[in-house]
Amino acid sequence: MARTEYQTRLKELEEDVSYLGELAAERVRHALDALDEKDEELAQRVIEGDGEINRLYLDLEQDCIDLLALQQPVAGDLRFVAASFKIITDLERIADLAVNLAQYALDAEQDVYTEVDIQRIGDAALDMVDQAMDAYSTEDSDLCRSVASRDDDLDTMCDEASQTIVRDLITGGDFEGDDELDAEESLVDVRRLLLTVRDLERIGDHAVNVAARTLYMIDNDDELLF
Amino acid sequence: MSHKENTAEVESSNMTGTEDPTNDEMLVQTDVSDGLSASTSVSETTNAETIIRADDINVWYGDEQALQNISMEIPENSVTAMIGPSGCGKSTFLRCINRMNDLIDVARVEGELTLRGKNVYDDDVDPVALRRRVGMVFQKPNPFPKSIYENVVYGLKIQGIEGDYDEIVEESLKRAALWDEVKDRLHESGLDLSGGQQQRLCIARAIATDPEVLLMDEPASALDPVATSQIEDLVEELAEDYTVVIVTHNMQQAARISDKTAVFLTGGELVEFDDTQKIFENPESQRVEDYITGKFG
Repeated sequence: MARTEYQTRLKELEEDVSYLGELAAERVRHALDALDEKDEELAQRVIEGDGEINRLYLDLEQDCIDLLALQQPVAGDLRFVAASFKIITDLERIADLAVNLAQYALDAEQDVYTEVDIQRIGDAALDMVDQAMDAYSTEDSDLCRSVASRDDDLDTMCDEASQTIVRDLITGGDFEGDDELDAEESLVDVRRLLLTVRDLERIGDHAVNVAARTLYMIDNDDELLF
Repeated sequence: MSHKENTAEVESSNMTGTEDPTNDEMLVQTDVSDGLSASTSVSETTNAETIIRADDINVWYGDEQALQNISMEIPENSVTAMIGPSGCGKSTFLRCINRMNDLIDVARVEGELTLRGKNVYDDDVDPVALRRRVGMVFQKPNPFPKSIYENVVYGLKIQGIEGDYDEIVEESLKRAALWDEVKDRLHESGLDLSGGQQQRLCIARAIATDPEVLLMDEPASALDPVATSQIEDLVEELAEDYTVVIVTHNMQQAARISDKTAVFLTGGELVEFDDTQKIFENPESQRVEDYITGKFG
């Protein structure tokens, strides 16, 4: 095997991007748990841990730039570095969205609406992230397409959830909680719930981006891009 | 100083004339009086964009086969790069195009290699006339121990080509991006120039005879990065008027300057020939992928 140092750096980049993916997924998991269990300490850890993600992201961005500038990768190697360079941005954004979710967990006084199963939506989004990262590390193009096809289901779940929330808001639905909770506070909680749904949908979108870049990396196929 | 000589065995159209040597007539052994041979035939119909076509070219050096069944079409007014490991036959192929292999006693070429439809290995083709249409620049700058001016007009003189030599020298040096640096010392020795300038002088010498094709055998490998950049810029400019075929060991150079890339691998095999972007982003052949990414071996 020629260019041993170069091959080692490519392998390390793959492992580091996979690690960033694991961290981002873990943050989403913790944020969902914090929402579910009203675990303020866990939510706080997710928020404070964002700095670590950002540093890792910048390190990996620099690794990609170094590989491009110093090793001039071509062909499959070039597609791997180019795809990784894009994928780390999606992973960093997923971690940012986990911070949003953790913040909602801190802000929410209580469950404002139990008919919307945030955990079910969150699990679906998180599965997509895990599957996209599996596709990346195992170079599985079928898995890439599977992630993309699952996004429609997630979008449907999110649309239904949003419609339920808005419809019940209009019809004065069964918001739980203190009767003395005034309308303004209800609105804040409802808005936070809508943002939660939107952020989970966006996590799915970033997972699709990861899958799309991975498919390009594997097969030079841009069918999933946009 | 006289700039006109008329002693060569080949006479043909004026360098600065408007006639383009666009058919095979320019290749053949010609008569001093009319410059054209009555025995020449009109070119076969060829793809208008293809200037050089290799069809099943095999080359042997003695018992050793250097090229195996090479078939490819080189488009005109473009840069085609030949890459591959040492001994893969890329320079041998380059030398097939202007029959430089004829100069090697043990070399034997089979197959057909056409320039605008005319097989350059036909019996009636004069290699000297061919080399006027297919200029060559070598790895090591090799100006003659003569003045800059005499270097540029050398090919014209030995071929007895008349013309306004002053104009040809200026035009050739301008096209080789050297004029501004040497216009005030045209009669100083070409050997006093820097390596990069010497190589551009050799390019000026090659284009002075108004060729259609320029063959370059690692033209920048002996030059520093600045001189290399100048040669690379020049190659891209030259492709507007000429067809450039360049052999390089520098894959990044091939990626930077060529439109098409041919990848030769050990044993004299042309493994893949495609648009340069395709070769360097998504080659079809795993062997090519392994070679260009350094995973060979």
